[in-house]
Amino acid sequence: MDPKAKKFTKKTVLYVTLAICAVVTIYPVFYALVGGLKTNMEMLAGGTLLPKEPQFQNYKTVWEKANFAQYTMNSLFMCFFSTLGAVIISALTAYCLERRKFPGRKVIYSLYMATMFIALGSVTLRPLYLLAVKVNLHNTLWPVILINIGAQGTNIFLITKFISGLPKELDEAAMLDGCGPFRIFWNVLLPLLKPIMAVVALFQFRHTWNDYITSSVFTMTQPQLRPLTVGVVQLKYGASAAAEWHLMMAGAAISILPMLLIYCICNKYFMTGVVDGSVKG
Amino acid sequence: MKTKSGLWNSILENRVIYLMLLPGLFFLVVFALYPISWIMKNMFYHYTSYGDYDFIGLQNFAKLVTDSMFWNAVLNTVIYAIGKMVLTIPIAFLLAYVLNTKFRGRMIFRTVFFMPTIISVSVMSMVFYLIFNPYNGTVNQMLMQLGLIARPINWFDGKMSMTTVLLVAIWGAVGNYMIYFLSGLQTIPRDVYESAEIDGATGWAKLRYITIPMMAPITQMVVMLALTQAFKDYENILVLTGGGPNGKTEVLYLYIYRLLFPMGDAGGATVLQYGYGSAVSFATAVLVGVITIFYLRWSKRMSETY
Repeated sequence: MDPKAKKFTKKTVLYVTLAICAVVTIYPVFYALVGGLKTNMEMLAGGTLLPKEPQFQNYKTVWEKANFAQYTMNSLFMCFFSTLGAVIISALTAYCLERRKFPGRKVIYSLYMATMFIALGSVTLRPLYLLAVKVNLHNTLWPVILINIGAQGTNIFLITKFISGLPKELDEAAMLDGCGPFRIFWNVLLPLLKPIMAVVALFQFRHTWNDYITSSVFTMTQPQLRPLTVGVVQLKYGASAAAEWHLMMAGAAISILPMLLIYCICNKYFMTGVVDGSVKG
Repeated sequence: MKTKSGLWNSILENRVIYLMLLPGLFFLVVFALYPISWIMKNMFYHYTSYGDYDFIGLQNFAKLVTDSMFWNAVLNTVIYAIGKMVLTIPIAFLLAYVLNTKFRGRMIFRTVFFMPTIISVSVMSMVFYLIFNPYNGTVNQMLMQLGLIARPINWFDGKMSMTTVLLVAIWGAVGNYMIYFLSGLQTIPRDVYESAEIDGATGWAKLRYITIPMMAPITQMVVMLALTQAFKDYENILVLTGGGPNGKTEVLYLYIYRLLFPMGDAGGATVLQYGYGSAVSFATAVLVGVITIFYLRWSKRMSETY
């Protein structure tokens, strides 16, 4: 084979393999998005890729009758406060730990690091649930929001690393001008932290939007507080679930689409953030 | 030398700092330290949702040793973690390797392969539940149309359920580790390859003698991350199979969840075992910790030998 033809076959093999992988990756999401537009008969029979006639009323049914308008509001409410809280707390803490020397710094720093490695998983939800009952917050979404903010170990680490790359002269100059620690943080460093704060905000938004276990535990007896993820999975457990695949998929699509949209705009931040957050120490 | 009053002075000097740390410390204490201390205390108690609350020393751990459901979950966790790792990491590496070469459209492929990591695991598990449905799911229909199988496979029976769980887990995880490998590949300087080419190295030789050895440190990190993550997974299994059938896909964190919370369709305990659940989760944390340390030691020795 002459080199040109060889190069051509190589390229073709490359593209075909990648295309197959891409189809496998996209198909399940596509299935949900398009499945929400099919009739239930089409869904149950299977074998078709696209709906014969898009059934937009499925979305309407889910939105109005299956309470998804409420679920969407709950998800947005949670995401807003969880993201806001996470960004403020992780930036404040990272600044103190990276730029300040004070008694107890090392202990606090290592405690945050430890939270990144210890995984107690589902079990921590029980004490926190009992605690929420004690302070009478268990009938609200606030415990879910607060738990989703959590100890912020990874985010603090991410911002700490970013701050250590900023010149110390900035702080020193501000200190000579008579700025206190909070002014230095607020006026000097915070404006420079925007890129990394965007990553933290995106991660926190995704984390809260996609959270299932915590929300499901805290809204078990409070259907009106459910976020989208719990609402969608509940469709599986519902009495008529076997018969309503099209509505299940319409619900899944409502929960997937906003995240997909954000991803289309900010995919670079997601990918660089993953790498920056991983290289520990 | 610092005197006591010197320490006090520096605490006073830094009072604004402590004030700024306060919100973060509140979260650290309430959402990380408090649950840990709750578990460490209640694992010594007979404590159920009936309201029993008696100190029983190590009896929960004695029960754990003979609890066949616990050991079943240990076995499944190991199968799941190893299976997920062994399948995910090579695929992620190959994709990264291919996507690190220059060709048109590689950014689009990267974006596509990373996409599953941003979607809710629980929602996607439900979608996969339909896709793998034995009677009218896409997977069986496709396999039958291609003539690969004669009769529909029951993806959720005792034999296949772990495979199904793993396939879904791989779908969700490959993109994440691909990104780590990509960032690692980009740190290999171009001139290393160039000088190898001058020496006549072909594509395969370059992969075998340059790329793979130079990627060893990042591979160690990825394996470590993948391992700890795989031990933590249970949301996907909860929605996909509920741990069933007959506990065939029940992993440790799912078992703990069932001891502590009543659950949708898969039941869960009627009497919630707070004390015993704490003991199981302490044992799990120790087990995962030991395996992680063991792996770190082993991989360190490996990298010293090579």
